[in-house]
Amino acid sequence: MNFVENPEISSLPYYTFRTLLRITITLGISVAWGVPFGILASTNKTASVILVPFIDLLQSIPILGYFPVIVLFFISIFHGGEFGIELSAILLLFTSMAWAIFFGVVGAVKAIPVNIIEAAQSFGVTGFKYIRHVILPAIVPALISGSTLAWCDGWFFMIAAEYIVYLGTTYSVPGLGSYLAKAAYVYNDLNLSVIILVLITAIVFYLNSLTWHRLMEKAATGTYKPVTRIGLSGLGKLGVIRPRWLHLGDRIHRPKSLILASKWVKRYTRLEKAVALAISLAAAFLIIYYIAGQIPSEVGFHEAFEDPEFLNLPIYTALTLGRLAVAYVISLGIALGMGVLAAEHKKFAAVFYPIYDIGQAIPILALFPIFFVYLSRIFGSRLGLETTAIVVLVLDMIWYMFLNVVGAVKSIPSEIREVGRLLGFKGLRRITHIVIPAILPAIVTGSILSWGTGWNTIIFAEYMPYEMELSGGQPLSLPGLGSYLDKTGYLPPPKGNALRLLFLLGEIAVIVLAMEGLVWRRLLRKFEKYRVEV
Amino acid sequence: MIESKHVTKSFELEKSKISVLEDVNFSVDEGDFVCLVGPSGCGKSTLLRIIAGLEHADSGKVLFHDQPQISPTPKITMIFQLFGLLPWKTALENVEVALEILESKKEARLEVAKSYLRMVGLEGFENTYPHDLSGGMKQRVGIARALALQPEVLLMDEPFSSLDELTAKILRLLVLDIRGKSSLATNTFFMVSHNVEEAVFMADRVIVMSPRPGRIIGEVKVDIPRPRMQYLRDPVYFKYVDEVVEVLEKGK
Repeated sequence: MNFVENPEISSLPYYTFRTLLRITITLGISVAWGVPFGILASTNKTASVILVPFIDLLQSIPILGYFPVIVLFFISIFHGGEFGIELSAILLLFTSMAWAIFFGVVGAVKAIPVNIIEAAQSFGVTGFKYIRHVILPAIVPALISGSTLAWCDGWFFMIAAEYIVYLGTTYSVPGLGSYLAKAAYVYNDLNLSVIILVLITAIVFYLNSLTWHRLMEKAATGTYKPVTRIGLSGLGKLGVIRPRWLHLGDRIHRPKSLILASKWVKRYTRLEKAVALAISLAAAFLIIYYIAGQIPSEVGFHEAFEDPEFLNLPIYTALTLGRLAVAYVISLGIALGMGVLAAEHKKFAAVFYPIYDIGQAIPILALFPIFFVYLSRIFGSRLGLETTAIVVLVLDMIWYMFLNVVGAVKSIPSEIREVGRLLGFKGLRRITHIVIPAILPAIVTGSILSWGTGWNTIIFAEYMPYEMELSGGQPLSLPGLGSYLDKTGYLPPPKGNALRLLFLLGEIAVIVLAMEGLVWRRLLRKFEKYRVEV
Repeated sequence: MIESKHVTKSFELEKSKISVLEDVNFSVDEGDFVCLVGPSGCGKSTLLRIIAGLEHADSGKVLFHDQPQISPTPKITMIFQLFGLLPWKTALENVEVALEILESKKEARLEVAKSYLRMVGLEGFENTYPHDLSGGMKQRVGIARALALQPEVLLMDEPFSSLDELTAKILRLLVLDIRGKSSLATNTFFMVSHNVEEAVFMADRVIVMSPRPGRIIGEVKVDIPRPRMQYLRDPVYFKYVDEVVEVLEKGK
């Protein structure tokens, strides 16, 4: 008997090719969209006032939250045809990949030193020539690191994008993600799932270390500031990447991440965000009703909020926030311990970093089916899903914390380290007096990022629409905001309802923004003083 | 009191070995004010760090009271070019925290810290964070912190080079003033600088280093009576400056 017997196993190379092609095409589209819009938003005042808060808001809503909207759009246009599904998969990937490039370009253009701009002006380099000779060269590194990020984001969301259950029907496009989902949910085959996961991880790791890593090193030489290299190899986890190491203390191109994340948080007033939120919700509202061909009437509103489950919304919200908080605390604790240990002890780092490098190449969402199949065998399907959700959330959030903690510990200025040694701080005293305070700002940025990714994951994790043998052919869900949103988005009416979907999306956006404004922004402001000025 | 014996040090950079210090020999006696000058990158700061016990020589050794100096000790403290203050602590806490290894009672530490801040003229800024202090004030905190440990030796790593000239001048006088105080245990000063005028103004002896790899290429004994303020326009002052510059140029 073979280790794996599966009728589709011979299509594996083809699936690999399709997924690679899909992500590559989407990357191309993202670059084609991100560069002109990024340049526009960073050079034109009016465009920046309109575009940047809007896009910023879009990216602060968990991407998986508006998957249903996009699916609805394409499936209704193409009546469920394969081309429509392919397009919706690409668009889903686009919504996860494009921001990194856009913000990378905006950041890079804004970071062009004033003296370069003035020199260009005084030599009469303006208009198209200015774009050609000043802007384009300046954004190349940002484009590469942005693409790296986008690439990783693409792999992260691929499994969600390739296999969609909508209105009780499964829509899937051939690819590694959908094959993995099928292996877990349809064939319920743990061996096969693990094999596919290992394959995905290997591909991501291979391409990261081979292609992107080299490109980034090349690109780093073209920046305006000196490059500081730190000995952590490989790309950062999906999402936040290498440039952190390549360009410490430099704002040239750190897409959507780290410092930039904190900058974005600080950039807008609450009023501006509220306005952007209102505008975008109205826009989404119009789009949905245009597609669905219905204008909301009083009856429509009734239907939307008469759902019996709607009353549970506060409890659902609390449950989901609770899951996120539990996972956050666990990942903060572990990341802090491991990060500090790795930065303080070379021997530990030597073991830890390679694991870290490979670990970050695993698309976390792809882990989900595997953990679920495995854990549900132990705990039963319900508790299995609950544990899986928490475990996957922790695994997802922890990399952002690691990345930030390790980066920050490594970038503690040598003078501060020397002061610690001169004053005789050792062991615990060294950690409480020097290390922890020095990395507090990084912990906040790590927290912002891990909550952001956590929201995405939980929307994916609370609901299993697949008709699995495990759960007796029934979809399985955990009570929570994420699962309610999924049901509202993917199930047929009256459970599914576009208006309520919008409402729930709005609620998530409000929670995300409120946490930013009330918690993270305050902490960042407080810790701003802690940044060591060099 | 401090003796550098055949100190040699090199660093690895991108797989090639760069020799930083080569057979460095000198000594500093108790009560001396010695200034080490040399071009940028000649290993001055590395030498200072070896004396502080922060780095180790590849071969040769530094003796402190005839004992090999291998790890930091409160008897030798340091002030830094970029001040080295902990940004998350106030001026007072920055001094107080330094005393933790010597004194276990917090009230006592705060008392001592306050008195040293007063000495460097920072009364009223105890609860200000470094972020809100000017460069000169930050260095005053750095000086207070170093002195609060009551060291025998004060090491200074280009302590005034990130300040504007006016502030630097005031702080130089502050350091010389502190040196004149017999109430303090600190009476030996070792400063690294690339500013020849500063070195001649402050030091009893100026030791000159060559470009990398750093070797000692000369020593100028500065025989100008103190206080030296009034000699700043005196030909004798410029004679010493020229002498140091001449040794520096020879080293090229």
